[in-house]
Amino acid sequence: MKYSILSISFALLALVSCKKSEDSGKLSVGFLLKSKGNQYFVTCEKGAQAAAKDLDIDLRVDGPINADPAKQNEIVENWITDGVDVIVASCENKDSLSTALRKAKQAGIKVVTYDADAQADARLYFANQATAQGIGEKLIDSAAELTGAEGEFAIVTGTLTSANLNEWIEVIKARQAEKYPNMKLVGIRPCDDQKDKAQQEATNLLSANPNLKAIIAVCSPGVPGSAEAVKQAGKKGSVKVVGLGLPSENRAYVKEGVTQAVILWSPEDLGYLAVQAGVALAKGELAEKDAKTFTAGKLGELQVEGDSIILGKPIAFDAKNIDDYDF
Amino acid sequence: MKQTGSIKALLVKHEMILLWVIAVEVILFQVLGQNFLTAGNVSNIFRHSAEIGLLALVMTPVILTGGIDLSVGSLMGLCAVVFGMLVKVYGLDPLVAAGLTVLVGALGGGLNAGLVAGMGLRPLIVTLGTFSLFRGLAEALTHGSKSYSGFSDGFLALGNSDILGVPAQIWIVLVVGIVIWFLVHHTTYGRSLRAIGYGEEGARYAGLPVKRNISITYVMAGAVAGLAAVILVSRLGEARANAGMGYELLAITAVVLGGVSIFGGAGNVSGAVLGWIALAILNNGLTRISDYEILGEKVSSVARELSGLLTGLLLIAALALAICMKMLAAKRSAKQT
Repeated sequence: MKYSILSISFALLALVSCKKSEDSGKLSVGFLLKSKGNQYFVTCEKGAQAAAKDLDIDLRVDGPINADPAKQNEIVENWITDGVDVIVASCENKDSLSTALRKAKQAGIKVVTYDADAQADARLYFANQATAQGIGEKLIDSAAELTGAEGEFAIVTGTLTSANLNEWIEVIKARQAEKYPNMKLVGIRPCDDQKDKAQQEATNLLSANPNLKAIIAVCSPGVPGSAEAVKQAGKKGSVKVVGLGLPSENRAYVKEGVTQAVILWSPEDLGYLAVQAGVALAKGELAEKDAKTFTAGKLGELQVEGDSIILGKPIAFDAKNIDDYDF
Repeated sequence: MKQTGSIKALLVKHEMILLWVIAVEVILFQVLGQNFLTAGNVSNIFRHSAEIGLLALVMTPVILTGGIDLSVGSLMGLCAVVFGMLVKVYGLDPLVAAGLTVLVGALGGGLNAGLVAGMGLRPLIVTLGTFSLFRGLAEALTHGSKSYSGFSDGFLALGNSDILGVPAQIWIVLVVGIVIWFLVHHTTYGRSLRAIGYGEEGARYAGLPVKRNISITYVMAGAVAGLAAVILVSRLGEARANAGMGYELLAITAVVLGGVSIFGGAGNVSGAVLGWIALAILNNGLTRISDYEILGEKVSSVARELSGLLTGLLLIAALALAICMKMLAAKRSAKQT
């Protein structure tokens, strides 16, 4: 029996050989993703790594790999016991992650959120990619422009519980009611942040609504998913696809003419900004509240509105400029 | 008499194997990981896995009868939503709401019991159905999007505070554990479960109340799933339809890892507990490791994505080892006679 135990431990050792990074005395920052498999967050992480390099800090990146809503809390709680100095988080479940982030704040950790905010009392600042107003309006405006501001449209979202996505959808609805009365929203479908589910949902939308003129995807896997559905249904061009997504994931569809417009800020800059803000808080360079501007390294001076640090305006990618962006 | 003695010895041996596995895990993670054996982290290991522990405990009697309950994770989702509604919509005291939630869990378990024991349907099929049914009901009640939060600090303390240096919810796991252990190993009811697992027909001819005893296992599983939901809501501070997603398989893995036969009839509670602890340590320990190399490629992120791989390896290795030992023992005793 002793031999078998020994061989098991050797097998485990052989699989994972690693070296412990010694305590370097550097600031340690935990960077929390909504999910590890999503290209958007992989790109955010790139920016976070760049900031870590500029600032010479220890960065640890983690995020759930499955749909268990408790996982993000567990990661934060583990970081609290590790005694990290800063936590930078994107919240999958606003309310539940706030419970854990409040604990971190009480433990003296500087908490900054990015991409998807926590409750205001659970963090110091929110690195805001763009205002909900800016994103929602840009999406519905491009859809209106492409369809001549009339006909049925549908929305593909991440999950029905995602707070930031819901906020954008509210803006889309309000703007449509006010400015585009001839357009009609016929459905909002969740894709669980998965491309294949988005394709399935978009296919259902297409067959249920034969007069559909446009699909607006508000989560990044939703755009290529919807495009694939439109392409396979043979409705390329007659059903317009616009959405919020990464140029790299949509390049092929944009060039084929299935997807007309992809709208996004730079996720890399967002990750960079969030880590810069967290570290500035830990070093005392950024006031814990009421700052008016914040200078985020290579991004320069950014505006602070209330407790949101605003990254800037979204960029629209189309067939003409999509090759200029490599994320 | 000798026969039962040797079977008992084998079961004890399986627990020895698990103790070794746990020891190896602890040593590995302490050597390779950071801050593994700290009071805070050990407390996290148990706090974060309390719900799985509860489910593993009540899954044990179900599996001993040769049954299975795939619906407990979904039932947690339903119970979480019910609890959230009772407190936030109807304004009930969390304690009263918790009691009612456990009752709802027991009713859910009762549905499984009725279909399995009453109508004689296969547990796998019944609970596969209620797996979708309970989660679907939870999603329907919340329109898939509503969640409940803003619970009182007193209630959140259940999931987030310590009593005598131990996470508060672990005391509940301990009480449930003792009750289940006593039921399974020290009552005629517990013996009847194993008898049913060996052969339902035989148990029936022996005059055992088979239907009633099977029913009790599913009702208990449901009630404790409700309890686990309350604990999860208290830990997260939010009640949502997706609570407990996938927990049923983790609980079953813990029980099987603990040496309980998936076909029923054999196994014990202490094995399931050790299986649960081995899994909990594995999941936590992997998050303690960063900057590791896998198959020669350097990865500078935590080893979380290895948890599925290693859980699988652990399960297969522990069970293969147990079977090898069993065969060895059989050979040895054959030689002796």
